Amino acid sequence: MRKTWTWVTILIGVVLMIIGYFGSAPWGAAGVRNSDPRFSFAPALFVVGVVIAFSAALVYELLPRRRR
Amino acid sequence: MTKYAMVVDLDRCQGCRACTEACKIENNTTQGAFWMHVFRFEEGKFPDTKVSFLPRPCQHCDNAPCVKVCPTGARFKREDGIVLTDSDRCIGCRYCELACPYGVNYFNWQKPSEAYYSEVIDWEDADIQGITGGAIPPYKNPDLGLRYGDEQRRTAGGGQAKGVVEKCTFCVHRVEDGKLPACVDTCPVQALRFGDVEDPTSPISEFLREKNPWTLLEEAGTEPLVKYVGGKPPASHAKEIERPEVRV
Amino acid sequence: MATDVRSKEQLPQGVGRFSAGWKVFIALAFVVFAFGVFAYTRELSNGMVETGMRDVGTMGGATWGIYIAMVVYFIGVSFAGITVAALIRILRLEKLRSIARMAELLTVVSLILGALAIIVDLGQPVRGVINLFRYARPQSPFFGTFSLVIAGYLFASLVYLYLGGRRDAAVMAKYPGRLQWFHRWWAAGYEDTEEERERHHKSSFWMALAIVPLLIIAHSTLGFVFGLQVGRPGWYGTLQAPAFVALAGVSGIGHIVILSAIIRRVLRAEARITEAVFAWLGKILLLFLAVYVYFMSVELFTLLYATPEVEKRLSDALISGEYAWIYWGSVAVLVIPMAVLAWQALNRRWNVGLLVASGVLVNLGAIGKRYLIVVPSQTHGTLLPYEVGSYSPSWVEYGVVAGLFALGALLIGLFIKAFPVLPIDEGEEVMSRA
Repeated sequence: MRKTWTWVTILIGVVLMIIGYFGSAPWGAAGVRNSDPRFSFAPALFVVGVVIAFSAALVYELLPRRRR
Repeated sequence: MTKYAMVVDLDRCQGCRACTEACKIENNTTQGAFWMHVFRFEEGKFPDTKVSFLPRPCQHCDNAPCVKVCPTGARFKREDGIVLTDSDRCIGCRYCELACPYGVNYFNWQKPSEAYYSEVIDWEDADIQGITGGAIPPYKNPDLGLRYGDEQRRTAGGGQAKGVVEKCTFCVHRVEDGKLPACVDTCPVQALRFGDVEDPTSPISEFLREKNPWTLLEEAGTEPLVKYVGGKPPASHAKEIERPEVRV
Repeated sequence: MATDVRSKEQLPQGVGRFSAGWKVFIALAFVVFAFGVFAYTRELSNGMVETGMRDVGTMGGATWGIYIAMVVYFIGVSFAGITVAALIRILRLEKLRSIARMAELLTVVSLILGALAIIVDLGQPVRGVINLFRYARPQSPFFGTFSLVIAGYLFASLVYLYLGGRRDAAVMAKYPGRLQWFHRWWAAGYEDTEEERERHHKSSFWMALAIVPLLIIAHSTLGFVFGLQVGRPGWYGTLQAPAFVALAGVSGIGHIVILSAIIRRVLRAEARITEAVFAWLGKILLLFLAVYVYFMSVELFTLLYATPEVEKRLSDALISGEYAWIYWGSVAVLVIPMAVLAWQALNRRWNVGLLVASGVLVNLGAIGKRYLIVVPSQTHGTLLPYEVGSYSPSWVEYGVVAGLFALGALLIGLFIKAFPVLPIDEGEEVMSRA
């Protein structure tokens, strides 16, 4: 269970990072839109993703043991 | 689609600096900020010296390094070519100032109300207030500080806020109204031209076709929209004379 | 049982016990910090005109000054923590374990200082923090610094420090006292079973492995902030990013040496922080120094052999002009310690005093080099024929920078009284009554 949750956390973190990064980076957009993120606070989402990905270590160590 | 450009005719410029002054008054730029600056530089050793003038507005580059490095997108390029700064979004990191090879950016180091030569003029003086009505600067342009363009951002004029970077806007507030930038309008010898280069029939397009335009710092790869005709690029050992002797 | 009743006087490593010397140190640090805050309020209310920075070009100034030099310096120092952690975990260098927590603490503190140094340099600081989270663009080299370094690396280092301290927190939590709640919270139910220890071993190995690429990217994007600017002679270049990483290693390990020596003296921990630890630190420092001095030499020879005309003004100012004293001074304080360290390495005899002196000197060199990266390319590096500029920091800038250093000292000083900075060993766990 512990390992599952750890991997889930990492996955969520990476997904948020990808969405946040490409949401912040308007590659190919022309004119003014090249200077705006695709959605507001996309960079915040990227940072949250990085934080969650590294929180996987906390999940791995701190998740309470299953009761015997 | 409109694409603006400016052409500077160095065979005509005689260094009167009317453009510099017109820009300052039109855009209410703060002390020490010269959005339009005219270099006077000399090359060679006496008695074989040569003195030249070179007006240097913002080049509104197609590959603008300042747009690339702005961390928040406050500095942006419009479809019509003009590069502007959103004074509401700028965080004052001054990275654009450092990325620009031409040195056209000016940061508001002080509160704007204190940045208009207050060491020389006492704006609080009763007599002066009688003339200015308390406005600092007294020639405040009402078109500045409003929102312009499809993007509706506050991009026109200097002295907008403490701690933001500003630069030449090709007088976006005038251009949107069908007028010419202040420098172009004022030049007594028509050394400056401005217009739509996407329109092959516009006067500026015809002018460019006749002449052999070059751009400043071509090797930097910035693709400026300001073209120069006549004269030649400053040699790398050229030295500036008459630097504006004003810091903030 | 007698051993269950522990009084707070017996907390290991002086935790919770405030000696007179410590109080004086904290008071001094606080005074300098308060002065820094005062200096910053001047800057906040009057604008950045209170600094010595001015616009590049017609105004003949430098628009980035010692604040940015300190940003690069502090982020560089943060290199140390993860380097030591990585060496311990990935290369199994168990000998360095005693200084691991100190190194991680240094990383966390210097990253905080680096982030603060960026904020004090912004013309609109509050807007800056909000707008970076709202609008930050990856096309700008700053994005990496903001999101990966400050957010990612800082968080990762905090997690690493936290998880690494749980075992000792569990030991500390058995002592009653004012700090027991803190130690209990930190321990989060750690029970020191074989299984928990194995789990921690695994997670810290993988974390160290994950943080290393984050670290390389972070320091490289910091180098890119400068190295990608075509318009600035002296900045544009492929060597910036690698040189940043190398000098980061130098300053970080240098700091660890200094911090280890201080802690060793203050906690009388000669048996824990042994000569072997200093020998290893000396060797690692020597390695980073050698790499950096190599980069420096390559750069110097290139400049001396052939300089493009546009860079000539700049390179002359660095080598023989206004900046020559900082340039050659920095070279000296980097090369001399390298020679001293090499000599010690060859003789396999390490002197702690010489090492600390080397640590101090290389950090002075790092500050000098960071300054030389930031400022001369602005005053002497314009591509258009502007006149040469000048920059000298104002008292406000010096005050704020001093305040940042003082804050770092405060944070470290407070930490070592709230938590054991050295890993607790068995001898300390079983405390006998005084």
